[in-house]
Formats: sequence, C-alpha cells, structure tokens
Amino acid sequence: MSSTGAQLSQQSTQRYSAFDLLRHRWSANFLQFCSSWDTFRRNPLGIVGLTIILIFAISSFIHPMLIGTVWPERIYDPMKGFDIELIPHPTAPSSEHLLGTDNFGRDILSQLVFAARSSFLVGLGAAVVAVSISTLVGGMAGYFGGMSNAILMGVADVFVLAPAPIILLIFGLIVTLEVWHIILLYGILVGLGGQAIVVKSHTLTIATKTYIDVARLSGGGHFHILRQHILPALMPLALVQAVFTVVGAVLTESLLSFYARSNDVITWGSMIFLNQRTFRWFTLDGQWHAIIWPALAIMLFCSSFYLVGRALDEIVNPKLRKR
Amino acid sequence: MSQFIIRRVIRGVVALFLFQFLLLALIYNVPYNFAALFVRGSPARRAYLETFYGLDRPLWEQYLQWMGSFLRGDLGVSFQNRSSTVVEMLGGNAARSMLLFFAAAIIAYLLGIWLGKTIAWHRGGLFEAGITLGGVAGYTAFAPWLGFVAINVFGWYLGWLPYNKIVDPNVWYQSPVRIDWVLGKLVISSIVLALMFWAANYLTRNIRNRLIRFGLRTASLVVVLGVVGTWWTEEGVAVYAVDVLRHLVLPLGTVVMLSFGETMMLMRTAMLETMQEDYVLTARAKGLPEDVIRDRHIARNALFPVFTRMLLNLPFVLLGSLVIEQVFDWQGIGMILFNAIQFQDLPIMMGFLSIVGIVTLSAHIFLDVLYVYLDPRLRLTNAV
Repeated sequence: MSSTGAQLSQQSTQRYSAFDLLRHRWSANFLQFCSSWDTFRRNPLGIVGLTIILIFAISSFIHPMLIGTVWPERIYDPMKGFDIELIPHPTAPSSEHLLGTDNFGRDILSQLVFAARSSFLVGLGAAVVAVSISTLVGGMAGYFGGMSNAILMGVADVFVLAPAPIILLIFGLIVTLEVWHIILLYGILVGLGGQAIVVKSHTLTIATKTYIDVARLSGGGHFHILRQHILPALMPLALVQAVFTVVGAVLTESLLSFYARSNDVITWGSMIFLNQRTFRWFTLDGQWHAIIWPALAIMLFCSSFYLVGRALDEIVNPKLRKR
Repeated sequence: MSQFIIRRVIRGVVALFLFQFLLLALIYNVPYNFAALFVRGSPARRAYLETFYGLDRPLWEQYLQWMGSFLRGDLGVSFQNRSSTVVEMLGGNAARSMLLFFAAAIIAYLLGIWLGKTIAWHRGGLFEAGITLGGVAGYTAFAPWLGFVAINVFGWYLGWLPYNKIVDPNVWYQSPVRIDWVLGKLVISSIVLALMFWAANYLTRNIRNRLIRFGLRTASLVVVLGVVGTWWTEEGVAVYAVDVLRHLVLPLGTVVMLSFGETMMLMRTAMLETMQEDYVLTARAKGLPEDVIRDRHIARNALFPVFTRMLLNLPFVLLGSLVIEQVFDWQGIGMILFNAIQFQDLPIMMGFLSIVGIVTLSAHIFLDVLYVYLDPRLRLTNAV
C-alpha cells in the first residue's frame, strides 16, 4: 500500500463534497422542522389558526375559477355583479347567495373571498419587507456595535416615533395609495422602528456567545459570521415577528380602506365602510349580515395569524413549553 | 452612568428633530394646502393666504421657523381656529380624552394582568382556550366596527345607554358648572378611588382566609364609593357626573375590549417564563401556599415586561383616540387631529405628533436607562 497522507486527504475531500454538505445540512434542517412541528402540533389553538389561514388561502385561490363556471360573472362579480331577480337589495342569506347581498346587489361571499387575496398580499408583503429590514439593520447594529450601532439605532429612533397609520393617512394625501405603497411604507415604518430595536438587543445576546468567538478565531470574516452564525440564530425571532406584523399590516390596511384612502376597491375595510354608510335603521334584520361578515373575516384572519405566531413563540422560546 | 444618560438623551433629541423635519417634508409635499382648500376661484386671495400662513416659503425656511417657535415652547396658532393656539386647543380637550383613554388603559391593564395570571396558572384545557380566544378576538377586532356594533346594540336597539357626544344637552341646560370642571373632578375622584382600593388591597394582603379578605376588600370599596358619591351629591352636581359617566360606558367598554388582550397574552408569557425559575421551586420546597407563590413570587416578577410594554404603548393610548373618538363623536384631541389631517392644518399636525413623539421618546429613554441601571453588564458592552 502506497497510500500517503496526501492521497488520504484527497479522498476525504472527495467524500465530503459540497453536495454532501448541502444534503446533510438539509437533513438536519428537516429533523429540526420535524421536532418543531411536533411541538406545534401539541398546541390546539395554533392548529386552529393554521387551518383558518389555509381555508382563506384555498378559497382565495379557487375564487377566480368559481367566477364564470359555478358563479355567473354577471351576478357574482365582486365589483360589478348584480342579481336582478332579488330586488330590493340588500337581501338576507339565501341558497343562491350564501351570505346575502349588499346594497348594490353584489354577493357578499364573493366579495369576501376576493378581498382575502389583497389581505394576504398586504400582510405577507409587509411582513417580508419589515422582517428583512429589521433583521438586516438590527443584526448589523448589534454585531458591529460602535459607530454603525449609533447611526442605525439613531435611524430606528426616528422611525419609532412615526405612528404607521397616521403617516400612511398623510401619505395618502400625496399619492393615491396602492397596495404596494402600503406594503412598502408599513414594512419600512415597522421594520426600521420597533422591530429593529428588538432584533438588535437579541443580536447582542447572540454576539457574546462562545461559538461566535470561536468562528472569529478560526479566521471567519464578518460576512461569514453574520451569514452563517448570526442570521440562522435570528431566524426564529424573525419568523415570530413576521407573523405578528401580518396582524398589524392587515388591521392598518383595513383602517386605511375604511377611511377611503386606499385605491384597493374591494377590501374588508371598504366593505365595512360601505355597508355602514348604507345601513338602514329600520330594517335591522336585513342588514346585519352585510357588516358582520367582513368584520368577522378581519377578526378571523388576524386572530389566526396571531394564534400561529403564539404557537411559533412556544417553539422558539422553550421556557413557554408545557412540562 | 451619567455619561450614558447624556448620550442617550442627545441621541433622542436629534431623532426627534429629524422626525419633525421628515414630518414637515411629508406635509409639505401634499399637493394642496390649507389655503387651497378654502378659497375657490381667486388665485390672488389664495396667494395672499399662502403668504399669510407662510405656506409659500421653501421647506427649510418653514422648518427653521417652526423649530424656533417649538424650542421656545410655542406650537403656533391653528389655521382653522385663529383665536386659540395649538396648546390651548389640545389642552382644552385633553381632559376628555384623558378621562376616556387613561381610565380604559388602567382597566384594560388590570383586567389583562388578572386574566393572564389566571390562564397561565390554569394552563391547558378549555378555560384557557376560551379566554385566549376572547382576548385575541378583541385585540384583532376592527375598531370602527366594534364601536358600530356597541352603538347599535346597546345604544339604539336596546336603548340602554347614550352613544354619542360627552353630555346630554337636556340634562345640562342652565347648569351651574362647566363640562371640563366636572371632568377634572371626575379624574380626581377616580384617582382617589383607585388609590383607596389599592390601599385596601395592600392592607388586607396578609389575611389568609379567602372569604374574609374578599369581604373586607368589597366592604372598603363600597365605603369609598359611598364617600365619593356623598361628596358628589353634597356638591350638587351628581346629576352631571352621572350623565358624563353614562356617556363614558360605551366608548370605555369598546377601548377595554380592544386593548386587554395584548396585556393578557404578554402577562401569560411572562408568567410561564417566570414559573420555570429556581426560586419558585425553592418557594414550593419551603411549603408556601400556592396562591402566595403565584401572586408574590411569580406574578410580581412577571410584571416587568408588562410594565415595559405599558410604557411603550403610551403613545398608542393617544393615537387610539383617533378612531374611537371619531366613532363615538367624543370631542377629544383625536377629533382635532383627524380634522387637522383632513384640512391640512399644519400647526396642529406638527404639534400633536411632536407631543406624541416626546412622550414616546421619554418612555424609550427611561426604559433604556432603567435596563442599564438594573443590569450593569449592559454598561460594559457599548449598548447605547
């Protein structure tokens, strides 16, 4: 045998190729996911929340398929539909219109499902924007410290003073607020404000851990440590914050469209506004369904995200688990 | 430590100035201003008004002028109401908002802390799930809609309570007192009541028998209520106080519904975290009764994050007034801000949001200093 040290080391590098590393990392991630799912599954309220979110997602996904096939577009279109056989509108729930119709003769269920799409868009979009900004800013400020900390936290101090709904109300006077305006503005205001401060203080506790020192001593650069060690440790917090941002973003968007500052025509907020405006005092029983469903939709949507966030919090923070 | 405080305050003040500049820039960029809203068809008149209000000058000049008067403690004069300054307008309506929102905040915090303590203690099962669902539903409810339901069900359909404005003009016809006087007295008597109740709780904390303890607390509450009620009747203005209180019920209930959930969930989390501490085990090993462990060893330590959140939420107490006052037609500071945004009333917007900013900033600085004071390790790292 003429196998030398060089050959052996060559063999070992061949055995652990980049692909193998990736595979092992993914299998470790998968195991982690399985154990997290086990913890999540024990929380019944979290499961309820996840189910409601899934129902919303599926129904908003099949809504364009229903229009035109099961529901004739002339009657069930969320914006222009009108049922001519059931005047005067609004009508109480019936077999054709499961949740009744609103004052303009439009189907409430169709509007509700249609509006879920924009709620998902606003909530998830704002969450992604807010969490990426807060993780970047808070992580950098907490890891580097010193001057960059002072500057970044100074920016965070400015944005923490800005109340998102009021800034958006004023911004709505400058431009016509589209969905992406709300996503970006809410994400920036929340992400650069309070969330960045929370992430920064969390990063401070991570950056003083021993394995960061070890990584630095073995020659890891700043970028390597941030990407390989700080970022994965911040991910659970980011996930929880993202879920709670969805709640705030959807409530803010509903408020904006309630005050007619959003250009998004059919949302839950604008449905509530319209049905409150056309509420007739003397036909109480023919009217309540038009207001209750959009409000219940907001409540259910936000509550389910909140419950999921609470269940995720239990995974992230082992002290909360039941012993 | 003093160096830390000075640096923190300087950073905060710079942030406040920057925030004010950005806010002014935002308002400056709105394509119409107050002058354009009110004069139709006469460009000369509009130009005159713009010059009069200083709206035609460039941004930095407006900012410097506003800043100069702000530093002298003068927030300027409202565009809509030339006869009173911003401080007078906000200060004149402040008592109404304070009465509603601070009372609601206190009730919501007490309720949230108590419920959070209870559900953390009786963990698992239907009881916890039900209370949690109720709290979360209240927290995520759409505020204008909740107010609408309260108005319709209790105010209109059942007709139990008045649902708009602060007072009933029929009751107040030819009244000898002013509204704000009654509101001030109400605030004072509720503070007295709260203090008395707290004192009674504090004095009876060592009584072990549950029944006697609750009996004494209830009795003291009844006595204090009686004393305050007698005082009101002696003054001869009890009718007006009752009228204000009846108008207060619906908005107060709505705000409490909306805000107790957050405190409750926070308190629950903090309780669950504290329950794992070693000193709780020690207390159990010493054989202390369970409710003593719960109330003194766990709940008291769990209050710290709740207290933090309470301070950080102070600005939202002011901003929450925006929606609720609109719904219930409660003529407080939130209505002023709402109208100011609609009419582009620049001094009021800047003044109100600056005051909110100062409150927020003070809370943040106080908390930072408190954390550094409580945890000296933070001083070693550059945690500023």
